[in-house]
Amino acid sequence: MINYILNLLTLATIYGIAASSLNVLVGYAGIFSITHAIFFGIGAYAGAQFALLVVPDIFLASMIGAVTSGVLSLLLALPALRVRGEYFVAAGLGLQMVGMTIFSEAHTLTGGHGGLVGIPAATLAGFDVSTPGLFLVICLVALIISLVVIRLLMRSSFGRALMSIRDNESAAESFGKNVPVLKTLAMAVGCAIAGVAGTLFAFNLAFVNVESFTLEQSILMLAMVVIGGVGTLSGPLIGAIFLLLLPAVLTFVPFIPPTEIGTVQQFIYGSLMAVLMIFKPSGIAGKTGDK
Amino acid sequence: MSNVLLSIRGLSKNFGGLAAVQSVDMDLQEGIVTALAGPNGAGKTTIFNLITGNLVASSGAVTLNGKSIIGMKPHRIAHRGIARSFQDLRLFTHMSVRDNVLVALEPKSWFWQPGGKAAWKKRLEDVDRALETTGLSKLAEKRAVDLSYAETKFLSLARILATGSKIWLLDEPASGLDLNSRTRFVNILRQATAQGVTICLIEHNLDVMTQLADRIAFLDQGKKLAEDVPANILRDPELIAIYFGKSQSGH
Amino acid sequence: MLLLQLLASGIQTGILYALTAAGFALIFGATRIFHVAHGATFVIAGYAFYECIQLGIWWPLAMLVSFVMAIASGVLMAIFIYRPIQRSEGSFFTVFVAAFGVSIAIQSLIQYFFGRGSVTVSSALTKSSKVMEGLYLAPILAVAIVVAIVMFTAVVLFLEKKNAGLGLRALSENPRLLEAFGLDSKSLTVLAFAIGSALVVPAAILTSISIGIQPSSGSRVMLISLAATIVGGIGSLRGAALAGLVLGIFENLVITVVDTQWSEAVSFFILFAFIMFRPNGMFGATVKR
Repeated sequence: MINYILNLLTLATIYGIAASSLNVLVGYAGIFSITHAIFFGIGAYAGAQFALLVVPDIFLASMIGAVTSGVLSLLLALPALRVRGEYFVAAGLGLQMVGMTIFSEAHTLTGGHGGLVGIPAATLAGFDVSTPGLFLVICLVALIISLVVIRLLMRSSFGRALMSIRDNESAAESFGKNVPVLKTLAMAVGCAIAGVAGTLFAFNLAFVNVESFTLEQSILMLAMVVIGGVGTLSGPLIGAIFLLLLPAVLTFVPFIPPTEIGTVQQFIYGSLMAVLMIFKPSGIAGKTGDK
Repeated sequence: MSNVLLSIRGLSKNFGGLAAVQSVDMDLQEGIVTALAGPNGAGKTTIFNLITGNLVASSGAVTLNGKSIIGMKPHRIAHRGIARSFQDLRLFTHMSVRDNVLVALEPKSWFWQPGGKAAWKKRLEDVDRALETTGLSKLAEKRAVDLSYAETKFLSLARILATGSKIWLLDEPASGLDLNSRTRFVNILRQATAQGVTICLIEHNLDVMTQLADRIAFLDQGKKLAEDVPANILRDPELIAIYFGKSQSGH
Repeated sequence: MLLLQLLASGIQTGILYALTAAGFALIFGATRIFHVAHGATFVIAGYAFYECIQLGIWWPLAMLVSFVMAIASGVLMAIFIYRPIQRSEGSFFTVFVAAFGVSIAIQSLIQYFFGRGSVTVSSALTKSSKVMEGLYLAPILAVAIVVAIVMFTAVVLFLEKKNAGLGLRALSENPRLLEAFGLDSKSLTVLAFAIGSALVVPAAILTSISIGIQPSSGSRVMLISLAATIVGGIGSLRGAALAGLVLGIFENLVITVVDTQWSEAVSFFILFAFIMFRPNGMFGATVKR
């Protein structure tokens, strides 16, 4: 029972990091990304390979995950960030599909359909940190560091520039903001942090597989940000906790068969997203008075 | 004869077959307010867009302090000292009034700004000064989207003030303001020109034009028909007729 | 010959893509709403048809039910989801998220009642016969071609002749013109959604007959519609339809060069290329950046 709760909290923390990183893109920079699961996945595969091939040091593996994901985000950012929102979404969806195909087919890198299995237990500077309690602590530390980094960035002139781009791109440009460069940087930061979350995810599960990085997962992360509240620090966390606790709560509802819990969860957050956008687009934690 | 800060020669823009701007010449001099007048669709906003780099000119030259800025990207032109406001304001809606102005003060927006703490303090002081001049100090923490109409117009002006640029392109900045606010607005512009700023103003309001403009450039269908002191322009019956839509140039 | 066979199946796929893409393009072109839940309309239409047939309902009636359900879902989404949002804040983001939310909700609803797997409606139309060496065709291809021609002709005639059709074209470009036609933007929006959703129905029915339909078909359909609309050029119905056709053919022909799993990815590479180098698409009006 304790292990179950610890695992749930660990997952909530990991998704909290992922959702917070998506918030950098969506909430602060106004970049509408529905491909975040792919960058989460890139971090997972990169970190896992590092653990399998070199050493399962969680810090080093996370850094590899961050760098790989951040650099590869340029693949989407460079072509697609200069174009209008609708085009960017289309390109993003395209990347999501292509990414999944690559994940399933690139056997040497990703283990193909079967994925990468047998990821060794996490260590830190030689010490084993893979016990559920310790691992949760590691993840919490990662979460806190991510939040601090995000807060510092968003309160700096960089963050203000991003928000000005989000609110009015043409005006931001007329005040000297280099929009494509700033958006690219924002994307790199957001995807790098997602990469860290992905690596933690891989260690937690001890295996990585394409099923965890589908379009549905990208939408789930978006739902966490949107439902919790965009552009705030606490919003994505609230969203992550809410959406992860939801399946656990649903197991106690009598008439839902266990195999359908995922489906019901989807129905709930899908409907919530739609309803919230009508009545409170700023989400649960968002500031009220959005006109 | 004061310095010419911005110079336009033979500026033209074609959209397919439509000539939106036809071979316009204009000089913006230090401390002078030039109003662009003319009926809707005359090409006034297009000229602004051509100067700021939002549109690429079909032909012609735009020179800033002696250097050509044709083909430069809008954000670079902003760094060079041209500040521009929009008819639909385009405020940073979800940011506070203070941040709206602060953002304008930080053209190069990297994480580390040069000058450390001292420069940061100066920037904050500049923001406060801009807010005070425009009467928005008490609203510093309010979100732009929550402001009243008049307050938004002044915020748009505060952003321009903050940039410290010497060339202002203002697109109907005072439209819709009541008499008191308009007077306040005009005074702020006058103070700026006294310090050497050149303002190019798109205006429809005759009062504002007569109060503020040192020169009026009259445009119709992309061509500059006349440029002179307001008294002469406003006395010309043909221009008045065009302005109020009774005839078109060339008829 | 393999090439001809692939071409035939490509044409069939392409026609289905063209229909759904045209529906999406019509809605987006007229209302500027990025109707991401278009794929949900597709699944609703397909499953409605399937369930009717399962219940033993005569197939023309089943088709009618399918049309009604699809049009109803499109229109209801327009009235109860998109309109309230556009009234309050209406940013691209909010509309998009809501549309995504709706499509997820509908997909999971269908998944709950029908399961995750694919369902097919069996029909004699899919029985293929040998036309010549290496080429097997089934009547469904002919049906698809005929249906597509009929529907496109109907829509194009409507857009060009009837008042309401002209009104749809004016809606996005010049809403003030609408008063001159005696129309208002609200009812025109509903009309756009109705027609756009109706275009999806034949594609959904034919898909359920041929390769089968599953809850996740919706997102795939929506992606293709999106890709075709962009490649064809935003604002051009013909472009979207043509691009859909081309994408379908291409997707099938490309199997001769790459593995099947990559054929979908290739389509998206094309999409990327268009976005990067020719965002106007093939026929679109000049796009403001």
